[in-house]
Amino acid sequence: MTRKFNIIVDGVAHEVEVEELGGSAAPVSAPAAVQRPAAAPAPKAAPKKPAAPKAAAAAGDVTAPLQGTVLSIEVKPGDSVKAGQTLVVIEAMKMENEIVAPADGVVKSVSVNKGDNVSAGDLLVSFN
Amino acid sequence: MANAKQEEMLEKKAKLRQGGGEKAIARQHSLGKYTARERLEKLFDKDSFVETGLFVKHRCTNFGMDKKEAAGDGVVTGYGTVNGRLVYASAQDFTVIGGSLGEMQAMKIANAQEAALKVGCPMISINDSGGARIQEGVDALAGYGRIFYNNTMASGVIPQISVIMGPCAGGAVYSPAITDFIFMVKGTGEMFITGPQVIKAVTGEEVSAEDLGGAMAHNQVSGCAHFACENEDACLEEIRELLSYLPQNNNELAPGYECTDDLNRENTVLDTIVPENPNKAYDMYSVISEIADNGEFFEYQKYFAPNIVTGFIRLNGQSIGVIASQPKAMAGCLDINSSDKASRFIRTCDAFNIPLLTLEDVPGFLPGSSQEHGGIIRHGAKMLFAYSEASVPKVTLITRKAYGGAYIGMCSKHLGADFVYAWPNTEIAVMGAEGAANIIFAKDIKAAEDPAARRQEKIKEYQDTMMNPYIAASRGYVDDVIMPHESRKYLISAFESLKGKRVDKPLKKHGNIPL
Repeated sequence: MTRKFNIIVDGVAHEVEVEELGGSAAPVSAPAAVQRPAAAPAPKAAPKKPAAPKAAAAAGDVTAPLQGTVLSIEVKPGDSVKAGQTLVVIEAMKMENEIVAPADGVVKSVSVNKGDNVSAGDLLVSFN
Repeated sequence: MANAKQEEMLEKKAKLRQGGGEKAIARQHSLGKYTARERLEKLFDKDSFVETGLFVKHRCTNFGMDKKEAAGDGVVTGYGTVNGRLVYASAQDFTVIGGSLGEMQAMKIANAQEAALKVGCPMISINDSGGARIQEGVDALAGYGRIFYNNTMASGVIPQISVIMGPCAGGAVYSPAITDFIFMVKGTGEMFITGPQVIKAVTGEEVSAEDLGGAMAHNQVSGCAHFACENEDACLEEIRELLSYLPQNNNELAPGYECTDDLNRENTVLDTIVPENPNKAYDMYSVISEIADNGEFFEYQKYFAPNIVTGFIRLNGQSIGVIASQPKAMAGCLDINSSDKASRFIRTCDAFNIPLLTLEDVPGFLPGSSQEHGGIIRHGAKMLFAYSEASVPKVTLITRKAYGGAYIGMCSKHLGADFVYAWPNTEIAVMGAEGAANIIFAKDIKAAEDPAARRQEKIKEYQDTMMNPYIAASRGYVDDVIMPHESRKYLISAFESLKGKRVDKPLKKHGNIPL
């Protein structure tokens, strides 16, 4: 598969063709998927089917209801939580917003760290 | 003994009351649904329901319809009493050709609507229908049109309640959409313009009917419905309760009940409910139930936009609509959804002479491009419009924060509140102290030897000078600063004093609320 690139060296444009060997169609710029270290900033929730309503996609996941800063994390993976128990506290609008478990469950993963900035809809905690 | 003619009549009636027959009724029951007649029996006081139009028949001859019998044309209509008060109702009968709506079914429903409007009583429409009766073509569409028109004409005159206890799809959804209150039963009630099959064919998206347009989809996500009920029995019971808070029509007041709760009951728990740290949340539900007669609160749109809480309480037995910030959800901010929810509720109350109590702890409008681009200006404007326009008694209690545009929007004196009370810890300001100090004293802070210390000093200065209820009270924007434990008696006294309130407004066709 041949791909064309426009490369500029010292202000001069060079049009080059690059043939990829090995037949893989993976885009050149994407490095192999690496497991993100736990300290990485919260990844945006994986893109979902565009038309799927939020509530349907959120089963088992708890997302940020509004933009803010993560003030504290009250649970860790493996914890059993009860409905209504605080999972994460997000400071927004000068208020500590307690994000609570929608139902009883066991925490699978926590996707944010203390101090992270989160946007509305960002994944905070997943449940098994 | 009945003679032959009388016997014939009794037989005919008995047969028509069977609806779609035993098999169809058994199927209806197997889905966890009652028949139309069973629903009406449970909704109305015992033996009070009087049916109208039992003998109505469709007139369609297309596609073999001339040979098809449809008892009552798939709908039961009539009147009865709920807690002794007159109510009209229609209930689509799914056992009769799928409850499909044709010319004559529509006529029966429209007749019930017109009768309710004529005598001035609530109209309840129970929806359980496959949709338009396709064989009848434009006659079915004309029928829907007449129902929508009647809904609109009756809007603001009589309370209209829609109940979704089965499918309600396509154009049919617009009758409920125009009415004041929509109840949906979980698992069986569904509303959508286009169903899952059409969506799959057109866009490829796969979604179940419940996820697309079930009770929780509309109560939590879209905000189209107001009540989600576990089952039909619970639903019918909740409708009866709702009616107890509503008047028969716009010329009457909601029924008054004898108050068994102490009018001067002290709300001592409220003295300590607001945390010392203004960044900490508390539960506004506790404030509402502490103030209300017997702690009773009938909530409206419980699952939608939880940052504002709406619903009915009674004070001295009188029905009151409550609009309350909820610091526990999204800091209690105003955003697109909470503005829409509150505005609609305010107008519902105002239309039916139900006084408004606003409990305010609002940090402002939610910032962000999604809000701005979603039209928060237009949606937030509805709040200002709805509160300003409302001519019922309006009383506001500020429990803590009242910042900026949101202070104005939450029924301030400037929008016509009759009384505004504030607790001593109230902070009325254009914005929080930190932001304000950073703007006002920007140069001063920058020039200081220790800018951080200077900033803290200035924040404190702003806080001490501005963040209190006394400046507003000195201008008369707050009528009094009261102890939290005095809230119930002050509010009851305020509403009692406002019973004779009359407002003259400029003559006009209607205002032009931003939609």
